[in-house]
Amino acid sequence: MTFPERAIGIKVSEAGWLSTFQDLGRENSEFMGVPCGGAADQHSAAAANILVGNSRKATCLEIMGGRFAFTATHDVMCAVTGVPAEVTVNGDPVAMWEPLCIPAGARVVIAKASGGMRNYLAFSGELETARFMGSAAPESRMGFPQQLAPGQILTLHSRYRGFTHPFLTQPLFQLPVPVPDFSPDVWTIDVVEGPETDRTPGIRKLLSSSNYTVGAKSNHVGLRLDGPVVHPEGLGEIVSHGVPIGAFEIPHGDELIILGRSRTLTAGYPIVAVAAKASLSMLGQASPGRKMTFRWISNVQAVEQYREQQRLLAHLEGRVHALFAAVGLPVSTSSAAAPSQSPAAA
Amino acid sequence: MTTHTAPAERLRHPPELEAEPFGDSALMLRVKNDDADFRRAAGSRLRDVLLEVRPYGVLDIVAGVESLLVEFDCLAVTHEQLAQTIRLAVAGNALEPGAASASQSLFVIPMVASEEFSPDLPGVAEELGLSPEAVLRKFQSSVLTINLLAAAMAPMMGGVQFPGQVSRCVEPRTNVEPGSVMVAGTNAIIQPFPGPSGWKVIGRTPLTICDIREDPATSYKPGDSVRFEVVPEREWARLEGQFLRASDGGASLSAGASPKAGSEGANSDLP
Repeated sequence: MTFPERAIGIKVSEAGWLSTFQDLGRENSEFMGVPCGGAADQHSAAAANILVGNSRKATCLEIMGGRFAFTATHDVMCAVTGVPAEVTVNGDPVAMWEPLCIPAGARVVIAKASGGMRNYLAFSGELETARFMGSAAPESRMGFPQQLAPGQILTLHSRYRGFTHPFLTQPLFQLPVPVPDFSPDVWTIDVVEGPETDRTPGIRKLLSSSNYTVGAKSNHVGLRLDGPVVHPEGLGEIVSHGVPIGAFEIPHGDELIILGRSRTLTAGYPIVAVAAKASLSMLGQASPGRKMTFRWISNVQAVEQYREQQRLLAHLEGRVHALFAAVGLPVSTSSAAAPSQSPAAA
Repeated sequence: MTTHTAPAERLRHPPELEAEPFGDSALMLRVKNDDADFRRAAGSRLRDVLLEVRPYGVLDIVAGVESLLVEFDCLAVTHEQLAQTIRLAVAGNALEPGAASASQSLFVIPMVASEEFSPDLPGVAEELGLSPEAVLRKFQSSVLTINLLAAAMAPMMGGVQFPGQVSRCVEPRTNVEPGSVMVAGTNAIIQPFPGPSGWKVIGRTPLTICDIREDPATSYKPGDSVRFEVVPEREWARLEGQFLRASDGGASLSAGASPKAGSEGANSDLP
């Protein structure tokens, strides 16, 4: 059964340390000088939306630290992904990485995140928000912070009308969810060679045999790592050029920087390695104090890893769609991004 | 690691392109030529060709001073396949100087020079062996070309008619006010939003050059021309905060000064 969309109010009573609207980022913006931005942990953000039957690119919420709490004026279906956290509905613990059916007026709390930076909260339907270059993702430098404040009421347009079952109040779905393992004390991040790897003697052994610690000045622009570095030899001045997400830069000091999705797009520092695409979501969760080491892989292996990561998400998406269709839960009909809207609409 | 160039002598002598993997999902393109001006010009035409052709798998492009970083979907194409497609696209769309590119607009941008707004003007004058007034005269008489949009859509422009190169600040500033007009080498840039910069600040425009409430957020695009016009400080209040538009589009000082045809609807190709 399908219902028409209705507007639902979601009152954010506690907004954590920093919570924003978020999505997978801008497309076709970097040639205009605007970094793609978007969820630092793309895997968790995509999975949250998939778990509630949305397009992966739908607007969700990114929650960093502290306590986040909301109540909705009507029944809503949501999912919480990202690093392990305590999620409760009216005080009762519920699972992450699962669709949650929340009754109208119930208080949902997400707190005590551990092992990383970010949680993602997606709702079945479309969250109303301003967009910049087609995306809800923050671009704070250009005056698009997208930050949520305590007391703020969000509007959700949803076709969800509650879930009823003869015996159960929560759907006990068995979904094949690819949950990342955030538990190791030292994360191993896969890297491929960069343009200056061969000009930097010893960097291969150093990166794969040392532990690095994420520094306090890290953010969505880049992770700053403490640990041993070596500088390239015999390089002249590098003319400023575009830099990919995940580039390992060694500036003049003894610091290693891994560029994030909101990086400054051009730089002239040597790039001694580049994180494999399949490892970027893990990097997006690294918080200050996090220890990590690196493993060199080939470009072919890196592509295979990413293909497998995407295959698991597509598999989950297929299962969610089949299941939701069978039990009458709404599924987003388009997998395309929502139409772009001027930020002035906010 | 560099992928090989296909034999292409019969294909209208396209310039040699170096294509280097930058991670599993990006390819760095450089035009091989001894002349830096040629590399820059060919690089900017290469960008136009790629935006026009949109090779399969390409997600986005980042323009550098003499290079292009092409970001692609690694599940759709490999480095080698994409490099080959790009070389074919280049062979079919000559990168020779004078090749057709998108329609261009002219922007005449007012700027104020003062002790407060031009902290580096005396230093730049000394470095170039000119008086501060002569530096501003040279600057105003230059018709600049926007080579690329740098961080936060900052227009990076080439073609300043200085007699020499301007060096960067020894200690970059941690914050430069929006609207600041800056030079380095023979390039100029305008700071659209507060942020760090190591370029030399020689003036400030009262106009807002980038506003995310506008759609698109800037009126200018790579390939457009820019001329600066130093105006008296008393003009500041009248112009402050106005959104920069092409000189045939309204807000600037000398209306109808565009020497280039076809600037009507010049921005329609922006997303």
